[in-house]
Amino acid sequence: MTARVGRAAGIVTAAAVLAIALPFVANGYFVGVGFTLLVWIALTESWIVISGMTGYISLGHVVFVGIGAYIAAMTWLVLPIWAILPLAGLAAAALAMFVGYPCLRVRGPYFVILTFGISELVKYIVVNIEAALAVSGRVLFGAPGVETLYLMALALAWASVIIALVVRDSRFGSALRAIRDNEEAAETIGVAIGRFKAAAFVLSSVIPGMVGALMIMRSTYFDPQIFSPQTSVLIVTMAVIGGSDRPLGPALGVGFLILLQELLWANLPQLYMIVVGALLIAVVVWLPGGIYVRLQQMITAAGR
Amino acid sequence: MFTQLLIAALVAGSIYALIALGLNLIYGTMRLLNVAHGEVVMIGAYVAYWGISLLSVGPLVSALVAISLAAALGALIYLGLFRRAMRSAEFMERIEGNSLLVFFGVSVILQNVTSLLFTPNQRGYRYQDEIVHVIGATVPVNKLIVLAIAGAVCGAAVLFFRVSTLGLAIKALIQQREAAALVGIPLARVELTTLCLGFAAAGLAGVLVSMTEEISPFMGFPLTVTAFVVVILGGLGNVLGSLIGGLLLGVLETFGVALTAPSYRSIMIYVVFIAVLLLRPQGLLGAGKSRT
Repeated sequence: MTARVGRAAGIVTAAAVLAIALPFVANGYFVGVGFTLLVWIALTESWIVISGMTGYISLGHVVFVGIGAYIAAMTWLVLPIWAILPLAGLAAAALAMFVGYPCLRVRGPYFVILTFGISELVKYIVVNIEAALAVSGRVLFGAPGVETLYLMALALAWASVIIALVVRDSRFGSALRAIRDNEEAAETIGVAIGRFKAAAFVLSSVIPGMVGALMIMRSTYFDPQIFSPQTSVLIVTMAVIGGSDRPLGPALGVGFLILLQELLWANLPQLYMIVVGALLIAVVVWLPGGIYVRLQQMITAAGR
Repeated sequence: MFTQLLIAALVAGSIYALIALGLNLIYGTMRLLNVAHGEVVMIGAYVAYWGISLLSVGPLVSALVAISLAAALGALIYLGLFRRAMRSAEFMERIEGNSLLVFFGVSVILQNVTSLLFTPNQRGYRYQDEIVHVIGATVPVNKLIVLAIAGAVCGAAVLFFRVSTLGLAIKALIQQREAAALVGIPLARVELTTLCLGFAAAGLAGVLVSMTEEISPFMGFPLTVTAFVVVILGGLGNVLGSLIGGLLLGVLETFGVALTAPSYRSIMIYVVFIAVLLLRPQGLLGAGKSRT
């Protein structure tokens, strides 16, 4: 680990330690907002391990959230929480391993559409399983309170930022970027592209699986609609608005959108979505690199 | 029973083909992944709905308005968003991902503006819904009208790409972009026209859909997904392929659901979709070489 990454990791860790205090000083509303914020940071930061670094844009990341949530719902009250969370992560990793190799053989728009298709397929399979079992939604009794969930989400968000930082700085990360820039060239100089892509895909699926478990503990309810494609799209949107090339960019995008959501969602949900759409267009067309890069440029310019 | 299902399959298939045609043209010529295509269909449907409920104008007349409005929207999006961006190397390097995000933004805006203006409720109108008997099947007249119009437009499109200069220019652009520019095809103008044509076809499809089904601001997304399945079946960039793919999906869906259960519809479609993507990403009709 280089000194620069060590410092960034140190700052992130210090921020996480400070954030532990929130449930003890703030009321339930702010802890709830904090939970949402952390959950989305965990999701977008894990997404960039595959999509930001290799350029394989996954539009189906919600499938890992959904499968983790489903496993958690089925093992709820059967297993203790400390066993459910890792199990949800493992289930997501197993799914990623199963679909990763075949999916990552196709590129560009085919991969984007394929990941979307797979997440929808898994959703409809779960819908049909639940219908066959005659279950319409599962209620989770005795879920932990928002303060406990907040701390768990904090741990996941911290872990996913650290993973993104460390991977980016490692030889593994260089290999992934080589794949993004020129896959044939990377293969020629001896990067085991198949294995690296699959490894990144599996690595990016574990935290979303655990996040899925946390999300249903928060809503105390499981419904196959948790596999909503909107979640996948929001992950991509947040990462892109923030800037998916830098490890801290996505977190900025999340903060920005969640703030906007809190301001507008309750009264004007449609206006919120319109603003999100307009922001997305504006960033892609006029601000490539995202707001993080632009902020950095502004800070550098101001420092001169 | 068989003819009944066959007609239903043809009606669904011709609509799918019409929607997928525009999507595929836009991808083929410019590598733009238009995920807002279903929203253009939705706008066409609303034009027909307001035409008949406010002005008592039949959907066939409103279709002209829907087509013009959709084409104008296409022109606006091309001139406002893509013309400049497509000159930047950075944007073009990831054109597919970038255009997907831009069009996703467009689709979210269109959905929510419509929902704000006209409420998110489902709406519908009755139009030519008396039943007639055709070769042993009972069909409402409006479905026959849908089939006739969508079929005629798809047929005309095939001819258009065979004989007209513009059609051939668009095809040249799909096959060899640089070479097309070298032989003097004005890229920007052909691109603009293609986008307008693709949007216009989607607007018309919206009018047709509204004749037989209820409409809502969020009706577009499933249509976009279906259109992508059709395009993948026929091959990205393959115009004739998307027509055949549309009919194929219509048959597959109608007969598949009749043989199993409606709840398996989505699973069936996605299994076919994923199988084609993994095994023949160039499409069922595509040549042997796979394009990446």
